[in-house]
Amino acid sequence: MTFNPLEQRGIPLDRQLRSWRELNVPPIDPDRCDPYTRCRIITMNGIEVEAIMFSHQLARNTVDPEVKRQLARTRYIEAQQQKVVNWLLPGVSSVLETTIAYEQVAVDLTGWVARMEPDPYLKQAYEFGVLEDFDHLYRYANLYEMIEHRKAESIVDNLTEVMPGRPTRFHHRDPVDNVRDPYDKDTTNPLSKLHALTIMSAEQQTMNFYMNVGPQYMEPIARQLYQEIGLIEEEHVTHYESLVDPGETWWEQLVNHEYNECYLYYSFMEQESDPKVKAIWELHLNMELEHLHIACDLMRRHDGREPQEVLAPELPNVLTFEPNKQYLRHLLDTQMDLTTLGAGYVREAHERFEKMQEQIHGGEEPPSDRVMAEHDEMFGREYRVQSEGEHPDPAMREK
Amino acid sequence: MSELHTPQAGDDHAPDLDVVGLLMRQHGDIRNLFDEVEQSKGDERRDAFHRLVRLLAVHETAEEEVVHPFARRAFEGGEQVVEDRLAEERAAKETLSALDDLDTDDPEFLPKLRALRTDVQEHARAEERYEFTHIRRSTDVTNLATMAKAVKAAEAMAPTRPHPGVESAAANVALGPVAALMDRTKDAVRKAMKNG
Repeated sequence: MTFNPLEQRGIPLDRQLRSWRELNVPPIDPDRCDPYTRCRIITMNGIEVEAIMFSHQLARNTVDPEVKRQLARTRYIEAQQQKVVNWLLPGVSSVLETTIAYEQVAVDLTGWVARMEPDPYLKQAYEFGVLEDFDHLYRYANLYEMIEHRKAESIVDNLTEVMPGRPTRFHHRDPVDNVRDPYDKDTTNPLSKLHALTIMSAEQQTMNFYMNVGPQYMEPIARQLYQEIGLIEEEHVTHYESLVDPGETWWEQLVNHEYNECYLYYSFMEQESDPKVKAIWELHLNMELEHLHIACDLMRRHDGREPQEVLAPELPNVLTFEPNKQYLRHLLDTQMDLTTLGAGYVREAHERFEKMQEQIHGGEEPPSDRVMAEHDEMFGREYRVQSEGEHPDPAMREK
Repeated sequence: MSELHTPQAGDDHAPDLDVVGLLMRQHGDIRNLFDEVEQSKGDERRDAFHRLVRLLAVHETAEEEVVHPFARRAFEGGEQVVEDRLAEERAAKETLSALDDLDTDDPEFLPKLRALRTDVQEHARAEERYEFTHIRRSTDVTNLATMAKAVKAAEAMAPTRPHPGVESAAANVALGPVAALMDRTKDAVRKAMKNG
């Protein structure tokens, strides 16, 4: 890899502001786009939302008005980037269609990161989480067929299988068991820092999305399913954010954020099939390079350290959207019955887990089970896409 | 692709007590038929296209007879919302009739079909967002069910599955021209509304 963001200069910040005409991007065609183009859009939207919210939090913890002004300038450009990226999504898509695309992101982004993660503890955290996103995709796909008579494969296009993962009812854990141990900022592989930031941002965006769009549905089962899965996204954000070393300074975190944005725009530019979208990834990369330089200057000034000390010596291998079917099948075969205990993982349902389950379900079937029952009443079957054969877990095969 | 049948009009055991839910599923059925036309060739495409034309005709007729008149009266601004939807329907009908004059294997066919698909999809979402939400809000379950019954009566006029053994256009010719189908649909809908 020859691309080193620290050695590149981008577009000067005072030339990054875009007019209404430039912000008015034509959306992708939902019936004809590459599903992974939509996944890249959803991912980068989550990354930009995190960039904006992180910068706001930093500004609220900053005393120096000059620094606040500097943060505001970069943040306004990031807000424009978020508008351009998210507005690539088409208005004709329903909330549920976009939801299914969010879950495809969660499955194939987390799946890829789990495969590439060098640290075994962090890898386990991604492997654990991806089986839950995988089950959410299956539940929403069944809801989609009930409400719109459409099959989820018209969205995920056979790149991602749709079948049960770890059953959603078991995702509700005592909150204390969602907190993981962090990596050590001084010894961890720099790639691990980028992975953690990326997955945390994507899950946070999913949480924000469900908590806001869920009540737009009128069908009781849809409203309830969004509530249930929305609460699991809260658990996932807790799970992933706790992987990040809290000992990183604010400025170090800022540099990591900007570096990660460079890494992802560069990755997506390299693999984008839609030329108009590719041009946006390239433009945004050139903007981010400058944001990174500004962040590096702030870190040198406030921490008295060189950013090279905390960053990778070169940009890691590009992050790629591609099918992860066999890897997921391996996890379905081996990790279905895991839950968390403290910061670790166990196979037995321990007391704290049982207590939480008892309280939240209140002796009733959760929405994620009822959606399957209602789908069965309507069609006399389930909706699945098992392109690679039967479910690896015999207990999860369709009766 | 999975082996499951694509769900199509009437192809489920939903009680259909809510006209809005029913019409939203029909919007999906129409998209499914667009997929079928795009993904098939020759006689199969001809057959799928004829089923699409019939479902579109029946669906739009039912909306014009049942839902739009109700929406006009039911809420503030309903008149204008319905006018906008009717304008979209007229434009779609024009594209549809231009398409109907082409052979389904004509190189012009697919680009025109895709343009129609875009128009129809935008129209369907506009109905769902600007008309249907008001309908659910401004009526009771009895009325929603009566309207659903009328739409079901219309739906029965448009078979959406290929007839086994007669995948040619002959079967569709036997069902008569689209204009006559729309007339029969209107009669069926009015009868259902009266009995509802």
